[in-house]
Amino acid sequence: MRSGGRRGAGWSKRAPRMAAGWVAAWMVAAPAAAGAPQGTVSNGKAAIRFEEIGARASARMIHHTRRFHGPKADILEMFTSGGAAVAVGDYDNDGYDDLFVTDSDAGRTCHLLHNNGDLTFTDVTAEAGVGKGNDEHSIVSDALWFDYDNDGRLDLLVARFGTPILYHNEGNGKFRDVTAQSGLNKFGNTIAVIAFDYDNDGYLDLLFGNYFKPVDLFALKDPHVLPNNLDQATNGGGVTLWHNQGNGTFVDVTEKAGLGKHTGWTLDVGHADFDNDGWQDIYLADDYGTDRLFLNNRDGTFRDVTEEAIGIDTKKGMNVDVADYDRDGWLDIYVTNITDEYMQECNMLWHNNGVDAAGKLTFTDLSRETGTCSTLWGWGAKFGDFDNDGWVDLFAADGLRSAGDKNYIPVLLEMIITPNVDFADVNSWPAIGDMSWSGHERKKLFRNLGGSVFKEIAHEAGVDNDLDGRGVAVADFDNDGLLDIYETNANQPSLLYHNVTAEHGHWLELKLVGTRSNRDAIGARVTVKAGGALLIREVNGGNGYASQSSTRVHVGLGAATHIDELEVRWPSGRREKVPLASVPVDHIYYLKEGAGVVTAAAAGFGKAILRGGAKTILRGGAP
Amino acid sequence: MSEPRRRVAGLAGLASMAGGLGLVLALAAAPPPSSPTTTSSPATLEHMEAALAADPDNLRYASEYRHAVIRAGAYDRALDFFAKLVADHPGSAFAWLNYGYVYVDKMPSAGAITQVILANDALQQFTRSIELKASWIALYTRGNSYLYWPKVFGRGPLAVADLERAVAISKSEPKRAYQAHAYAALGEAYWRTDQPERARATWEEGARLFPQDAVLKALLSRQGDDLEAFIADQVDRTKRVDTDLRELWEDR
Repeated sequence: MRSGGRRGAGWSKRAPRMAAGWVAAWMVAAPAAAGAPQGTVSNGKAAIRFEEIGARASARMIHHTRRFHGPKADILEMFTSGGAAVAVGDYDNDGYDDLFVTDSDAGRTCHLLHNNGDLTFTDVTAEAGVGKGNDEHSIVSDALWFDYDNDGRLDLLVARFGTPILYHNEGNGKFRDVTAQSGLNKFGNTIAVIAFDYDNDGYLDLLFGNYFKPVDLFALKDPHVLPNNLDQATNGGGVTLWHNQGNGTFVDVTEKAGLGKHTGWTLDVGHADFDNDGWQDIYLADDYGTDRLFLNNRDGTFRDVTEEAIGIDTKKGMNVDVADYDRDGWLDIYVTNITDEYMQECNMLWHNNGVDAAGKLTFTDLSRETGTCSTLWGWGAKFGDFDNDGWVDLFAADGLRSAGDKNYIPVLLEMIITPNVDFADVNSWPAIGDMSWSGHERKKLFRNLGGSVFKEIAHEAGVDNDLDGRGVAVADFDNDGLLDIYETNANQPSLLYHNVTAEHGHWLELKLVGTRSNRDAIGARVTVKAGGALLIREVNGGNGYASQSSTRVHVGLGAATHIDELEVRWPSGRREKVPLASVPVDHIYYLKEGAGVVTAAAAGFGKAILRGGAKTILRGGAP
Repeated sequence: MSEPRRRVAGLAGLASMAGGLGLVLALAAAPPPSSPTTTSSPATLEHMEAALAADPDNLRYASEYRHAVIRAGAYDRALDFFAKLVADHPGSAFAWLNYGYVYVDKMPSAGAITQVILANDALQQFTRSIELKASWIALYTRGNSYLYWPKVFGRGPLAVADLERAVAISKSEPKRAYQAHAYAALGEAYWRTDQPERARATWEEGARLFPQDAVLKALLSRQGDDLEAFIADQVDRTKRVDTDLRELWEDR
């Protein structure tokens, strides 16, 4: 019996009842509690509002999809058009989250955008030396901040259709390419990467999600590189798990860990402790077929529990994000698929049912019941409590290809229904030219109305753009306690949505710093009890398609003006209760493993200062 | 309370079939010889296959066999069986029709794109059936099948053409309650091809002939988004299509 599982089960019985009364109280008390002016009220809740400031903030980057040459160039371009990615991380430890934004066409550079603290960014790519990656045989597809050597500075991994690039953060605004000595030398057509400590040894490991099998797409020897089945493909790239040796090198442990049999078209990978046992588990979202759930055996291996936990699906999995949307103490999963006029797959909101008496973990898809089924051609989607009411909301990007008026779908249909057509053969696919394919699709913002249903409010919130979305990163870029959104778009400009919600609840933000655990504290679980609600958060290392959100934990508290309990379960296994007097609400704190709330300097954030307005006091951040 | 839904195969008028089907009608009305239709063991399926092989145009045998197949999940076996049946009896219009139904029956077990392939395979068999015998049931079935295709694929006019022929056939045959399905479906086809006035006129005509038909009543009692949602529900691709033909013999 897993002790964590039983505790969670007990909480799950209580939380919803308490929450209902708590929400009612918040709806009445919110304006006064937050001290904000009255605004538009929708469904009994104040309006969530965003303002797009990408250009003004100098954070609008235009992505360029890789162009191919030859007769099937546009098909290969279509299949590799997912690489508009963003990674959020405070690389210079100044207390403000920075941005790394990818580009994908040959010769194009990626961008490191330094957050100036006043909602403007400065492109420091050249000085930092991190722009490269789009060479003759490689396409940049994703990026990830993580401190692989626990030296207190975020390093940068650039994932590619090709071999990855690992940059070591030198601490002076410059980075050094250490790929060669890192051992990360295996070619793969990687589309997603996350960092997590699967063996809890204090060092962050890497899981790569690979789309195509490992072939050079620029020098095809065999045209059979596309999915061999559009609902149950088995010829994809699978995943690659790299174990961090703790000495700056990584070793491929995919087979040893039990992940080698997976040959799906992995489009996203996510991690979390789904069974509340203190060990990180894995969810794989697969295009053209079955997603996979692997539970951690706590011995360096994983076991595939897909059939018993979620069942076999045939959908086009695109995204994995994790949160406890109904506050029952178990982490749930959101996977986007394709739900368009011509294909009605429906997304999957996997409600975590917890571990039963027999030790079996199960999930139930509640996307239809909660109103989160359709995001058209889905891509990245992220949970975040955008109004700090204590319930995590959900922002979802969508749209594949916005081009000319002609629709590619009827053309594609003729290929699909051709008898004995070989889908894997790139030559089977009709040219797309200037046709659109699930283009001009409006983004979705689902507001959580209390844990059982969501309301789609993208238009009124000002985030219903119709670009070809890909990655979604959520972070509080101006340290005002409200979560902002950065959206990348394929072949189009990125967007920065500043959260300007006038009426919002109280909040708390925590930057965790591991000591025995990995320094980024990825995998740490924060449990907050406030106002009668149980709120859990886990620090994740890059969940969500083509994006990494802030590793700073954000907790909306609604009307609660104080915390009743705050506990951190570190990946090392240490559990720490934080003295409540040290954490008044509406502030940002540094929490160091074994030391509780500390100053920025004590946490290793030497340059942290208060910037960007008077709304927030960066506790522990004063120099 | 669930909304009324039109049966897809909803069927069908043996009585409306053109020419020389008296014997088939008689056979369709009789249950398969001592077939335990509530079970779907291999032995049961084998027994039913033998009966069908001896009488390939028997719609009742075929319907009950296919539903035994659904219970067993033995779709590929049924496809193999019907492939052989139509090879052995290429002139059996209803064998081809039921061959198509097996593809429809299999769809819920498949992914979204495989469903498209199965739907297209079904259409091919329905077409072969119509080529052999332009019966009410075959035209209604193929026309109704076109309604399941998303508008972007442009199957709406094809649905209109088939369903207009089905309605025309029904007017020349003895009246049967199931014929109301074709009026409902034809109206929906008009609706999907942006002919709302013709849609409503067709439903009204159907309702005059079949005043008890729940689907026609529901169509005529709705407006705007409510009507749109009801029509969409009739061809909801996430729900198993009802290909049970029992209306055929229960309505005699």
